Amino acid sequence: MSARPDRVRRRAPGIASAVLAIALNTFREAVRDRVLYLLLAFALILIGVSRLLSLLTVGSEEKIIKDVGLAAISIFGVLTAVFVGVSLVFKEIERRTVYTLLANPVRRWQFVSGKFAGLLAVLSLNVVLMFLGLAIILAIRGESTWALLPAVLLILVELGIITAFALLFSSLTNPILAAVWTFAVYVAGHLSWSLKLLKGKVPEGLSQWLCDLLYWLLPHLEHLNVKAEVVHGQPISLGSVGLAVLYGTSYALAVLVLACVAFERKDFN
Amino acid sequence: MARRWLAGLLVLMAAGSVYVSGTVLERRAAARERSNQLLYLPNGRHLKVASLGQATVLADMIYIWAIQYYSEYERADRFRYVEHVFGEVITELDPHYVDAYWLGALILIVEAGELERGLALLDQGFAANPDKWILPYLAGWECWLAGQPGRAADYFDAAAATPGAPPTVRRMRAGMVSRAGDLETALALWNEILEDPGSDPTSRAIAERKVLDLRVQTDLRELRAAIERFRFENSRFPGSLEELQKRGYIRGVPRHPDDRDYDYDPRSGKVSAPEGRVLGESA
Amino acid sequence: MSGSEAAAPVVRLAGLRKSFRGHLGIGRTVAVESVDLQIGAGQVFGLLGPNGAGKTTIMKMMLGLLRPDRGEVRLFGEPPSAPSARARLGYLPENPYFYDYLRADEFLDFYGRLQGIPKEERREIVRDTLRRVGLEGSEATALRKFSKGMIQRLGLAQAIQHDPELVILDEPMSGLDPIGRREVRDLILGLKRAGKTVFFSSHILQDAELICDRVAILDKGRLRAVGRLHEMMSETVRWFEVSFRGQLPAGDDLERLSSEGEDHLLRVADIASLTRVLDSLQRSGGQVLSIWPRKDTLEDLFLREVGYLTAGEVRR
Repeated sequence: MSARPDRVRRRAPGIASAVLAIALNTFREAVRDRVLYLLLAFALILIGVSRLLSLLTVGSEEKIIKDVGLAAISIFGVLTAVFVGVSLVFKEIERRTVYTLLANPVRRWQFVSGKFAGLLAVLSLNVVLMFLGLAIILAIRGESTWALLPAVLLILVELGIITAFALLFSSLTNPILAAVWTFAVYVAGHLSWSLKLLKGKVPEGLSQWLCDLLYWLLPHLEHLNVKAEVVHGQPISLGSVGLAVLYGTSYALAVLVLACVAFERKDFN
Repeated sequence: MARRWLAGLLVLMAAGSVYVSGTVLERRAAARERSNQLLYLPNGRHLKVASLGQATVLADMIYIWAIQYYSEYERADRFRYVEHVFGEVITELDPHYVDAYWLGALILIVEAGELERGLALLDQGFAANPDKWILPYLAGWECWLAGQPGRAADYFDAAAATPGAPPTVRRMRAGMVSRAGDLETALALWNEILEDPGSDPTSRAIAERKVLDLRVQTDLRELRAAIERFRFENSRFPGSLEELQKRGYIRGVPRHPDDRDYDYDPRSGKVSAPEGRVLGESA
Repeated sequence: MSGSEAAAPVVRLAGLRKSFRGHLGIGRTVAVESVDLQIGAGQVFGLLGPNGAGKTTIMKMMLGLLRPDRGEVRLFGEPPSAPSARARLGYLPENPYFYDYLRADEFLDFYGRLQGIPKEERREIVRDTLRRVGLEGSEATALRKFSKGMIQRLGLAQAIQHDPELVILDEPMSGLDPIGRREVRDLILGLKRAGKTVFFSSHILQDAELICDRVAILDKGRLRAVGRLHEMMSETVRWFEVSFRGQLPAGDDLERLSSEGEDHLLRVADIASLTRVLDSLQRSGGQVLSIWPRKDTLEDLFLREVGYLTAGEVRR
């Protein structure tokens, strides 16, 4: 091994450059992971099967295909976000690749943000592919799919929130618990509307206060759910879609910041 | 230290944005809910809770299951839970699932012969979907065929008043159908909907059924009249429908649109169609 | 302290302490206690100690991977949390593992981006560094196909490719065959010649003896000894071992270690005894085969400090 003449190169990378580098690497990692393709294949198969399923119905067949298609995009998106999201940080810590990575002049929040951006890119790619599969099946029947786009966009925003939670919890605990907690948030997020009803039925005092607290903290994922509207062809204003996007991305950003803080404080044993 | 403040500020700003946009979305959702008060019965709520944002798909699956369930005509007590399945469960999950309303209504009206129960389902559907003129239109015709032209007129008015109703429907407003039993007019009008290229698939599907139904009724009426003339002139019932044709009382032996013969009993002189079935083939 | 330490030290550890929660949250074990250390520029510093002494814990604190309970770490005068400090260092962990879904050049390019190597230079530097660590030709090989030795070399590559002033290596020789260890030693000496500071931990004492300027001996979380190598080990000869062919000389200050026919191995206590033995052999016509002076080794120092030997004792 030989020595090399001196060259001065000791500056830290720019913020965008570091986040981008990590995001790109994360994207590469996920794309080369076979689990991703398994999930994608299942989703596409399901969309194909929906075509057969629609033959069993009386009345609107396209409704069945659209409903199953959107559900597949949503469910497989969430599964990918949870399982890949939780394992992203865990694998780096368990295999200690995070040690060499953080020994570089990279800030910890850049690491978390890069992971988030990379995973979101992969999820977007998945969603686009699944949407194309759905569009093809519907196009064969002469149906247009563009009306479904607002629902797909909001599904993506929902996936952003789930991913942020996955990263937060995986910085705090082991991957199994992190996955459980993230799913719990997903479930609770879709039931947040029932907290209002629950509040009316529990005794006054602590229980009601608890309902209020949970209602404030949880993401109201039903605000990001316009599947019923798009499938029935009901008009959705650009304003309400924009509002929902603002809601979802703000929430995801808040959780991402918390995830960065959690990772910042972490001791690597 | 500065970064802690920045992180805190970011969280605060994001939380503020969440609060504001969340509140607006909340109000809008509540407004939608108030207008649909009638539909939020406690029952289907449990399912909605379990569906986790996939309520429409769950509605589809239950609907498909219900079709298979109600296709078993041998099942005892078939009609007991029709309202529950179509009117509470499926439509709680997806209030705009129009197919569920009219299919359930037809099962009740055509198969069970329960006009009131069927109309109640169509009423429920129209309340949740004020833009679906086909539901009161169908209700109107069922009343009319059952010999209640007054009520039928009310339904037709409601259908005609719906924005987006086609000309055919709007003509009903004038009360042009006054005589009960005018099958030809009914058939012609439903045919118009069936053949109108602008009809939506749901309306067309319903029109197809009604046209088939009315054709059968028309055929039966023609046959009964011919049989009556035969008996009057020959003092006996014809031995078969072919004899009616051979002797020139009818031009051709009509066949049921399902491609089968009408049932004729030479001893009683009664002709009937196989029991009308909404799902699957007739018996 | 010599002149090089008086100038701003590259590494300064002051009063470091770190403890961890015990199993199930019960009790606390202290991993590192009261560690004070300074390393000046251009030195090769060895942190020695048995397994579990706390070497890796100290290194993690140096890199900001762990926060000390007490005390502080300064690299180039800055805390390790500052990216500007970490931009000037390179690190190789023990038993490294890298992303097996990447190729060697992709991996080094990725790290190069994080290290702030500008795009125009990265490609050439990656190729050049791979050549330096003996991995020429492996640019396009997927990391999952790398052997353990190759991974170690790749680890060294990412630690030095950005030309850092401080290189921190955790057990760099572990798992390498003698050729590999020689190459790592040469690399470290090459870095030293280029004016870099090297900090490494090891439990292989022979290597440390060959290349370190200064060492610290760590046991059970505490520093037992710190200083220049040759200052810590006395030059005095403990004893001599003489092997010869011929008649055994008489004397009670002699210890016979082994005999094979006419060949004998003797241990003599000092120069005086040695001279007497040699005289005796010459007179009796014996043939001296070899004379070996037993001096202090690093191993002796080490074993003394960790309490395996008592003070002043050496391994016999």
